[in-house]
Amino acid sequence: MQYVKANSAAEALDALLKAEGKAIICAGGSDVMVDYNAGKIAPEMLVDVSRAADMQGIKIANGKIEIGAAVTLTEIATHPEIKKLYPSLCKGCGTVGSLQIRNSATLVGNVVSAQPAGDGAVAVSALEPVFTVLSKDGVREVAMADMYAGFGKSKIDNSAEVVTKVTIPVPAADEAAAFQRLELRKSLSLPMLNAAAMVKVQNGKIVWARITMAPVGVGPVRAQEAEAFLAGKEMTDDVLAEAGELALKNANPRSNPLRGSKEFRIATLPVMVRRALEDCRAQLQ
Amino acid sequence: MVLHTTINGQAVVADVDPSISLAMFLREKLFLTGTKIGCGKGECGACTVIMDGKAVTSCIIPVMRADGANIITIEGVAKTPTQLHPIQEEFIQQGAIQCGFCTPGMIMSAKALLDKNNDPTVAEVREALGGNLCRCTGYVNIEKAVFAAAERMRKGE
Ligand code: FES
Ligand code: FES
Repeated sequence: MQYVKANSAAEALDALLKAEGKAIICAGGSDVMVDYNAGKIAPEMLVDVSRAADMQGIKIANGKIEIGAAVTLTEIATHPEIKKLYPSLCKGCGTVGSLQIRNSATLVGNVVSAQPAGDGAVAVSALEPVFTVLSKDGVREVAMADMYAGFGKSKIDNSAEVVTKVTIPVPAADEAAAFQRLELRKSLSLPMLNAAAMVKVQNGKIVWARITMAPVGVGPVRAQEAEAFLAGKEMTDDVLAEAGELALKNANPRSNPLRGSKEFRIATLPVMVRRALEDCRAQLQ
Repeated sequence: MVLHTTINGQAVVADVDPSISLAMFLREKLFLTGTKIGCGKGECGACTVIMDGKAVTSCIIPVMRADGANIITIEGVAKTPTQLHPIQEEFIQQGAIQCGFCTPGMIMSAKALLDKNNDPTVAEVREALGGNLCRCTGYVNIEKAVFAAAERMRKGE
């Protein structure tokens, strides 16, 4: 296997295009290297973007937060401004794998690897992220809902496209976001369930709510029924509990021998969603 | 491919197969076998080294990522060939080692933490060591060793 260190996103794309589908992007490497060593993928070339200059850093300006695709989960989880603006994103990014993994793995990688319950992916999914993608046709912007093609399958073709950054809005004072996770142990363990929520509340009533949950389908799944129910309501205990139950209408969890049966997940998911909403409420009080 | 890196303070230039991991390179090419490979998947921490000040699992780092980087392995932790680092001494003192397979990785994770923060909370120690599995000790003495080492490091050791 050959290796190219890309100094910029353009250089990375150039290397991909020259290799005509035989090269893939490697950011943190925590999925790519494991899959490569297990023989699940056999690229002829790795295009390493971890040091690409224009894919680094977190910029906060003009009501937007731009996170470079090479930014590690640790950088996000420990970023002083992100901690204030979106503690939920820090929490989600800060629970992936272990500290060693987070020191090299990226948030964008957590989305592009398209595992159903990436904690970073679920946390960011409630924040209406937009992904900037560079390909031979130029630059385009992709919404969260258009990132996932199936279980472990991204709509991003990592042999022909480079995600350069993810952008989320700075939250307004009347908005809050939360992330919840249920796990077997606190480190090195995939979630049994995770859920994220973001709400906007004016005059004591919810203007809109976004709820995402996993692993209950392909990628983070929106709890649309619960979201629609919440609009215009007050955040009372009863309303939040009802929203938790309604989340099940959009959830289709499967049984996992380690991380909970379908029945267990169905019984537990409403609690996770309710807790995420309660956390939002507490932040707004 | 030619790799230029710094390992335990020494400049290293080597011709490498870019498809191998940093852990394989350390063990098989440089014979720095203190770095262990347990799972080879980033799930046990036995292969932990410090790269540019951060703990990473070297089994899933492509070797060429070490290009231009500064790497510390367990072999580079002792202050001199005859004087161990306080973290190493406290692992021995507190009985934090049984079979020893996890120990190099544990010590590298502890060092990455204590080099930046020599007065950590229990939560910080657990976060730093949460990626290192130990099948023998039950972790309690490991935690004690890290705190004992931190105290000594605060006194300038
Ligand atoms: S050998 Fe690298 S984490 Fe297990
Ligand atoms: S001492 Fe044996 S694995 Fe930790």
